Amino acid sequence: MLAQQLANGLVLGGIYALSALGFTLIFGAARVVNFAYGELLMLGAFFTFTIMSYLDVPFFAALPFAMAGIALVSVIMFYTTLKPLMQGSFTSLQGELQIILATLGLLYVFREAAIITWGTAPRQMSAGITGIVEVGDVVMTNHRLAVLGITALLVVGLYLLLYKTKIGKALRAIAQNRHGAEAIGLNVDRIVAVAFAISGAMACAAGALLGTLYAVEPSMGGSPLIKAFIIVIFGGLGSVPGAVAGGLAIGLFENLTGAYISFAFKDVFTFFLLIAILLVRPSGLFGRVH
Amino acid sequence: MVLLLAAAPAALGDYQIYLLTLTLIWAILALSMGLVLGFVGQINLGQAAFVAIGAYVSALLRIKLGFDFWLAAPIALAAVVIVAALVGLLTLRLRGPFFILVMLAFAEIVRLVIANWQDMTNGPLGLRPVAPPEPILGLSFDTKTSFYYLVLVVLGASLLALWRLVLSRTGRMLIAVREDEILAEFVGIPVMRHKVIGLCIAAFVSGLGGLLLGPFLTVLAPSQFTISASVDMIVMVVVGGVGTLIGPLLGAVFLVYVPELLSFTTHYRPAMMGVLLILVTLFAPQGLVGLAQIARAKLTPCKPANGAKEQRHAG
Repeated sequence: MLAQQLANGLVLGGIYALSALGFTLIFGAARVVNFAYGELLMLGAFFTFTIMSYLDVPFFAALPFAMAGIALVSVIMFYTTLKPLMQGSFTSLQGELQIILATLGLLYVFREAAIITWGTAPRQMSAGITGIVEVGDVVMTNHRLAVLGITALLVVGLYLLLYKTKIGKALRAIAQNRHGAEAIGLNVDRIVAVAFAISGAMACAAGALLGTLYAVEPSMGGSPLIKAFIIVIFGGLGSVPGAVAGGLAIGLFENLTGAYISFAFKDVFTFFLLIAILLVRPSGLFGRVH
Repeated sequence: MVLLLAAAPAALGDYQIYLLTLTLIWAILALSMGLVLGFVGQINLGQAAFVAIGAYVSALLRIKLGFDFWLAAPIALAAVVIVAALVGLLTLRLRGPFFILVMLAFAEIVRLVIANWQDMTNGPLGLRPVAPPEPILGLSFDTKTSFYYLVLVVLGASLLALWRLVLSRTGRMLIAVREDEILAEFVGIPVMRHKVIGLCIAAFVSGLGGLLLGPFLTVLAPSQFTISASVDMIVMVVVGGVGTLIGPLLGAVFLVYVPELLSFTTHYRPAMMGVLLILVTLFAPQGLVGLAQIARAKLTPCKPANGAKEQRHAG
């Protein structure tokens, strides 16, 4: 029983980690808390679904195209609404509030656009993986294992991109000191746009995988946004390893409290955990104190 | 304007009175959000939870314990203010995104408790029927028109009280804290205390809206108090004009009354809310109030055009 719950928590945590990665990346690079991020997951699931049904291709063939599509949406979002608001300095509260307001507006626009385009009915999407694996008492579907594998692959990919490539180095430079990066001649806007593209692609992958596990519907973005938020607070805003650790921890915590205390109140426990963490460490568990 | 609103029911049909009442209740809620956004300087995604606590505590006291509306109301308001003070003391130390997230978590906790505590609240099916307020001082509120007047009086009183607050010492200290927290602390303003007081006053006004919401809708359900209710309030404030008292009222009229009149738009209302929020933050950060001031400055050429900026604080 306990082993099974731990395994379930691990899979859930993996998807949480994946959905938190793009969110934390944008915060690191641009100091933007993107409230429309959950809707990018949702749009990603719908893009994948639509490509699959129109071109009649399997899930894994459709996913890369959908990821490119959402990356484009994310970049357009950056250039049309967020960049004009980011011109001001980041220390002004007013500017920060305005960016948050704009992303809240984007949340509504994306969700309503999806309702108008696809309707509110939940759709089924299959990744085309069947069968189960049994290890001792623990039963796991191949589908969930594949999801965990893809998550691991994407995490490693992002890690390599951030720490082994030139663009990753530039991204980290901007995250550390924006003005310094500008001073040594980096084109900050273009690099932040790249971060938005990567974030969009990650969001799309997370959303599409969530869509195969549950259902594809316009309201599916709300929960991942809140979870991503909690995870990055847990792991420190802007930290990639923190997002992975936070995702796994929250997934395990949720599964264990849901199984052993109360299923109906499992989200309430998570929220209380979050509030407790922020009270003890106002910048997150591993966050730097500013 | 006041006379117009007072005389309105005589000339209007039932549906129009219903719509006006709805607009006024939203105006009360927007007013409370305007206080948090404009005078505490925070985005509060948990405001709907204060409304929910006001609405549910008063309705439960009446339904489960047989209390009078007028006895339940002050108890419910006290509950809202106590919760706001506790939450504020814990959360107002946090800045920007952290505050937003914790208030979002607080709102979700309140909503999930309401949805899952089925013996008490009847869960997602909703608490019903919430009766109109009992007669008091020879006035009864069982018709649409009389309830409309009650809402109008509550809105008018809140507006007057907040107007006095903004002009008072506390109000000016709130503005000082919003403008520059460190400087305010430096000149000896107890920053934390003023933020908590600001949040408590805003929660009180939200609670007033909640009290009226139950009898108005006759049914309360957790789905009415989601994050999007708080976002709706934020949009009203931002569209009307942040940092003013009249702005939230304009926003409520513009976003509740006008879309209902143009009934073909109701389907697209949430999308419209989103587009408006983006356009206003990008192109008119001072909202309708700011636009009106710019227009007035342009129409009267001899007046200096910088009036718009100064009036923001006078509100």
